[in-house]
Amino acid sequence: MEALRKKIPLTLPQNSIKIIRIIAALLLLALVIVRAIDVAAESQFGADTWLRLSVSGLIIGGMYALIAIGYTLVYGILFMINFAHGEVMMLGTFGGYFVFEAFNAIQVTATDGTQMSFLNANPVIAIFLAFLMGMTIAALSGYFLEKIAYRPLRGAPRLVPLISAIGASIFLQNAGQLLFGPQRRQYVNPVVLDRGIGWNLELSGSTVVLTYTGIFSLVLSAILMVGLYLLVQRTKLGRAMRAVAQDKKTAALMGINVDQIISRTFVISGALAGAAGVMWGIHNGLFNYFVGFLPGIKAFTAAVLGGIGNIPGAMVGGLFLGIVESLGPAVLGIDFQLKDVIAFSILILVLIFRPSGILGEALSEEKV
Amino acid sequence: MKTVLETRHVSKIFGGLVAVNKVDLVVPEGAIASIIGPNGAGKTTLFNCISGFYKPEIGQVLFNGESIHGMLTDKIAAKGIARTYQNIRLFKNMTAVENIMVGFEPHLEHGWVAAMLKTKGYQKEEKYIIKEASHLLHYVGLAGLGDHLALNLPYGAQRRLEIARALANQPKLLLLDEPTAGMNPQETDDMKNFIRHIRDDLGITIILIEHDMRVVMDISDQISVLDYGQKIAEGTPKEIQANPRVIEAYLGPGAAALSEKYRKEKTHDA
Amino acid sequence: MNKQSLQKSAASGLVFGIIVIFLALIGFTVVFSGLIQKVLGQSLGVGQIPRIGNFFIFLGFLGIWNGWRAARQDSHESLTLPKVLLRAFVAGLSAGVLVMVYAVVVGGLDARGVDMRTYLSMLSSDSIKFFLFNQSVAMGGLIHVGFSTLMAVVGGLLAFGSEKSQEQVKATRTKVQNWSQRTWLGKVQGNPYVSYVLMGVVLLLLVLLPRTWGAYWNYVMGTVGIYVLLGLGLNIIVGLSGQLVLGYVAFFAIGAYTFALTTSPEPHNLVWNFWIALAVSVVAAALSGVLIGLPILRLRGDYLAIVTLGFGEIIRILLKSDLLKDFTMGPRGVRNIAGPTLFGRSFTSDVDYMYIIILAVLLSVFLAKRWQESSIGRAWLSISQDETVAQATGVDTYKYKLLALSLGAAFAGLGGALFASRNQFTGPEDHALMVSINVLCLVIVGGMGSIPGIVLGAFVLKGLPEILRELESYRLLVFGALLVVMMIIRPEGLWPARRPKLERPVEPDQEPAAVAITVGGKQ
Repeated sequence: MEALRKKIPLTLPQNSIKIIRIIAALLLLALVIVRAIDVAAESQFGADTWLRLSVSGLIIGGMYALIAIGYTLVYGILFMINFAHGEVMMLGTFGGYFVFEAFNAIQVTATDGTQMSFLNANPVIAIFLAFLMGMTIAALSGYFLEKIAYRPLRGAPRLVPLISAIGASIFLQNAGQLLFGPQRRQYVNPVVLDRGIGWNLELSGSTVVLTYTGIFSLVLSAILMVGLYLLVQRTKLGRAMRAVAQDKKTAALMGINVDQIISRTFVISGALAGAAGVMWGIHNGLFNYFVGFLPGIKAFTAAVLGGIGNIPGAMVGGLFLGIVESLGPAVLGIDFQLKDVIAFSILILVLIFRPSGILGEALSEEKV
Repeated sequence: MKTVLETRHVSKIFGGLVAVNKVDLVVPEGAIASIIGPNGAGKTTLFNCISGFYKPEIGQVLFNGESIHGMLTDKIAAKGIARTYQNIRLFKNMTAVENIMVGFEPHLEHGWVAAMLKTKGYQKEEKYIIKEASHLLHYVGLAGLGDHLALNLPYGAQRRLEIARALANQPKLLLLDEPTAGMNPQETDDMKNFIRHIRDDLGITIILIEHDMRVVMDISDQISVLDYGQKIAEGTPKEIQANPRVIEAYLGPGAAALSEKYRKEKTHDA
Repeated sequence: MNKQSLQKSAASGLVFGIIVIFLALIGFTVVFSGLIQKVLGQSLGVGQIPRIGNFFIFLGFLGIWNGWRAARQDSHESLTLPKVLLRAFVAGLSAGVLVMVYAVVVGGLDARGVDMRTYLSMLSSDSIKFFLFNQSVAMGGLIHVGFSTLMAVVGGLLAFGSEKSQEQVKATRTKVQNWSQRTWLGKVQGNPYVSYVLMGVVLLLLVLLPRTWGAYWNYVMGTVGIYVLLGLGLNIIVGLSGQLVLGYVAFFAIGAYTFALTTSPEPHNLVWNFWIALAVSVVAAALSGVLIGLPILRLRGDYLAIVTLGFGEIIRILLKSDLLKDFTMGPRGVRNIAGPTLFGRSFTSDVDYMYIIILAVLLSVFLAKRWQESSIGRAWLSISQDETVAQATGVDTYKYKLLALSLGAAFAGLGGALFASRNQFTGPEDHALMVSINVLCLVIVGGMGSIPGIVLGAFVLKGLPEILRELESYRLLVFGALLVVMMIIRPEGLWPARRPKLERPVEPDQEPAAVAITVGGKQ
C-alpha cells in the first residue's frame, strides 16, 4: 500500500529518455532518407544543378564560418551570445561599399590612354582597401560595442548582457536604416570580379559557372580561417585568449590583462565579420541595413552546430550549414523559400539530440 | 545500528583526473560524520556524487539501502537528502522566508489549478508552510529577519538560512559543506553547538565537510580522511589524530615522524 | 588643476559631439526640434522644417547636460567654482569644435551642390541648412562652437549650484515628508480603504473611457491591452521562471491562426462560435507550449533563446510559404474573421472590443497574480535565481519550466485570438520577430516579475509611440538604446517587483527550545 500511494514520477528516468531520443533521431533520419530517395527517383535535377548548389553552399558556408568564429570566440570567453554580431557584419558591408563607390567615382587615365575609374584601373588596391575599411569599421564597432554595452555588465546574471546585446542589435540595425536609408544597394565590383563571369565547367551537357567572386570569397575565407587558427594557437595573444577562456581569475593572477584580452577578442571577431560582410557584398551584390540579421542567426546556428566555443567546430559548422541549406530543399524536394526553415530545424534538432555540437565536448559541468 | 548512507566504490573522473577514487563510506543513523582532507582532495566532489549533482562513473550510492545512483537531484531531495554549499547559494532576490518555503517544495500537494482557484486545501497548505517556515527561521535564530532579501542578510545569517532551507526539505540526511568557513571563533562555536542541536533535536544524520579541526574533533562521531580522491583513513577523532598517514597528507611526507619526535620531546620535558 | 581631469572633460565633450553628429545624421535634430515646436503650441505642417529657435532649445539641453557631466565627473570630490567652469568650458569647446568640423564638411559639400542623400539618406539640403542655423557655413560652425561652450558652462554652473544646494534640498525633503506624515497625507497612505477607492476610480474609468474617447483611442488602447496580455504571459516565462524565450510570437501566431482558421469562411469554412474558438485558441497555444517545451527545456538559457527564436521564424516562414497555402492562405493571410456574439447579438464596435480586451486583461492580471504569489510562483522564481540549487532543493525544475512555458503561451494565444478578431484579419507579417522583441522590451523596461510594471511598460512602449507619432521611425532605435541603458543603470525595470512580507511571529512557548545563538551582524 505504501508503495502504491507514492506519486508516479512525472519525468521518465534518464536512460529511457536517451533511448527515446535515439529512436526519434533514427526515425527522423530514415524519414529524410526515404524522402530523398523518392525525390532522387524523380531525377528532377541534373548533375550540373547539384554541383552548382554545392558550390554556392560552400561559398555561403565560408562566410557563415567567418561570422561563426566571432560568436565562438566571444562565447568561449564571456559565455554570452553576442547578439549584435550580425550588425557588426552589416557595418563592414557598408564600409567596403563606400570604398568601392569612392573609387568608382574617381576617374583616372590608364596606361593605354583610356579613361576609366580607379576601381577598374587598380582593382587589387581597391579590393584590398575595401576589405581593410570593412574590417576596420567592423572591428571598431566590435570594440565599442563591448566597451559600451557589455563591459559595464561583467558579472551580472546571464540574462542581463544577453538583453543588452539584443538592444545593441536593434539599435545598430535601426541606426543603419536611418543613416543609410532603407533601400537596397548594389555593390559595384571591379570588372575583374564581375558577378557574371567565372570558370565554365561542362557537365552533363550544360555549363556550370564557377564565378570568380565565389572562388575569391572561398579562398579568402579559407586564408582568414587559417590565419585565425595560427593566431590563436601560435601567438602570445592567442595563448592569453585561451587562458582567459579557461579561467579569468587565474589568468588575471598570471598577469594577463583580462579586459584588454576581451577587447581584442571583440576586435578580432569584428574584423572577421567585417571581412565576411565585404565578401557578402562582392558575391551577392544586393544588400541593405538588414543584411546582417539572417547571416548572424545562421552563423550562430553554425557555431552551435560545430560546438560553441570550439574554433574548428565553427568552421566545420559554417560549411556544413551552408551546404545543407543549399542542398536541403533540392534533396527533400521542397520549395527553396523554405531553406531558412531547414537551417533552423537543423539547429533545433542538433540541440535536442547532441547539445554539444558536432565537434564540441560536453560543456564542463557547472562548478558547485 | 541502521545505516543511512552507504557509498560503494564511488569514483568520479574528470577528463584524466580521478577526483574521487573508489571511496567507501558508511554512515550510521544519527551520526555526525565528518569528511576532512587537504584542499582538492575531492570532498565536495564526493558530496556532489551523493546529492546527485554528479553521476559517478563507477560505484553505487545507497540511501536507506536503496540505490539513488543516477537520480535527478530533485528526486534525491524528495527522498530525504538535503545539502548546503561551500560558497553560499541562496535565492538571492527572494526573502529569507521565501527561501525556506521553497525548501518545502517536495512535500507540497497542490498544483497550479488549486493555486488559481485558491482552494481550501491550498490555502491551508500555504498557511501551514508559512507558519513552519517562520518556526524554522526562529529555530536557526533569524526570527525577525524573515522579510529581508537573502542577499541583504549578513554572512553568518546567510549560512544559517541555507541550513534552514535544507531543514525545510525535512531530510533524514543533511550534508553540510564547510558550514563555519569565514566565521570568527565565537560564530564557529555557535555553529558547532547548532549542528549538534540539529542532530539531537531533529534526529537528522549529518555529514560534514570541515576544515576547522576543533569543530571536527569536538562533534564528530566518525571521521573519514580523503587525499587525492582516496580515502586514506577512517575512525573516531582520537584514532584520526594519531594516524601518521593523515598527518603526512596534511603536512607533507616526513611530517609524521617529526611530529612523533616532537611529541616525545614534549612528554620527555614534562 | 590636474591635467587628467581636463583630458577627461575633453573626452566626454568629444563623446557629446559624436552624439550630436549622430543625431544630425539620422535626422533626429530636425524631428525633435519639430516636436519641441509642437509641444510649445505652435503649428508645424507635414514636411515643414521647424523654426531655428527650437533647434537652439534642443542643442541647449544637450549642451547643459554635457557641461553638467563634465563638471561632476568624480562624485567624491568637492567642487570649486573655477574647477567647474574650466571643465565645463573644455567639454563644451571640444564638443563644439567637433560639431563645427562636421558642419563645415557637410555644409561645404552641400554648398558645392553635392547631394549626399544617395549615401546618407537623411542629409537633405534643407536639413543641412537647418543644422547651420540658416547661416553661412563658417558662421553656422562658429555659432555651434559658441553655443555649445556657453551651454556647457551653464550646465557646469548648474551642477555646481545643485551640489551646494543639495543639503538644503535634503533638509526640505525630510521636512515635507514629516509634514505629510503628520497630516492627512500620512493617514491616506497605507489605509486599505484608499486602495479600494483608487481601484473603484480605475474601474469607473475603464467603464467610461472607451465610450467617450473615440475609435482612434480605442484602437490604440486596445493594442496596448493586447500587449499587456502578451507581457503578462512572457513575464511568467522570462520574468518569473527566468527562461529567455525569443520566439514568443510563435504562440501569438498559433493563437491568432487557430482563431482565424476556425472562424473565417475562407479557407476551411469553419464558422465556429467566437467563444468556443477563443477557448480553442488558448488551449492550442498552451499545448504548443508544452510540445515545444518537452524537448528544448533541458537546454541552458542562451541555447533556449536561440532555439525559440528559430522556432518563431520557422512558424512565420511556414505561414508565408506556398507549402501551406491551401491551409493558411499563404502570404495573403486570413480575412473575414468573426467577431464576438452573445445571445444572438454581435458585439463588433470599437467600444465592444475595448470592453472585451479590458475584461481579458483584468482576468489575466488576476490569474497571473494568483500564480505569481503562490507556491508555483516561488518555485519559478527559485529556478530563475539558481536553477541547479532549486532542483537540489527539491523543485522539479523541468515540470515547472514546462508549466511556465505553457501558461505563458496560453496568454499569448488569448492575445493572438483577440488581435485577429479585432482586425478581422491576420497574416504572416503580423507575426514577425519584432513582436517578440517588443514584448520582451516591455517586460524588461516595466520590470521583470512585476505586474504593474508590465502594464506601465505596455503603455510606455506601445502607447507613447502612438502619441508621439513624429518619432515613429526612431522608435526602435530608442528601444534598442533603452534596453542597453536599462541593463546598465536599472536592470530591475521602471516598476520593480516587490517581495511579499510573509514572516509570522512565533510565540516562544509554543516552540521547541530554540538554540541560543548569536548571529554575526544581527544585533
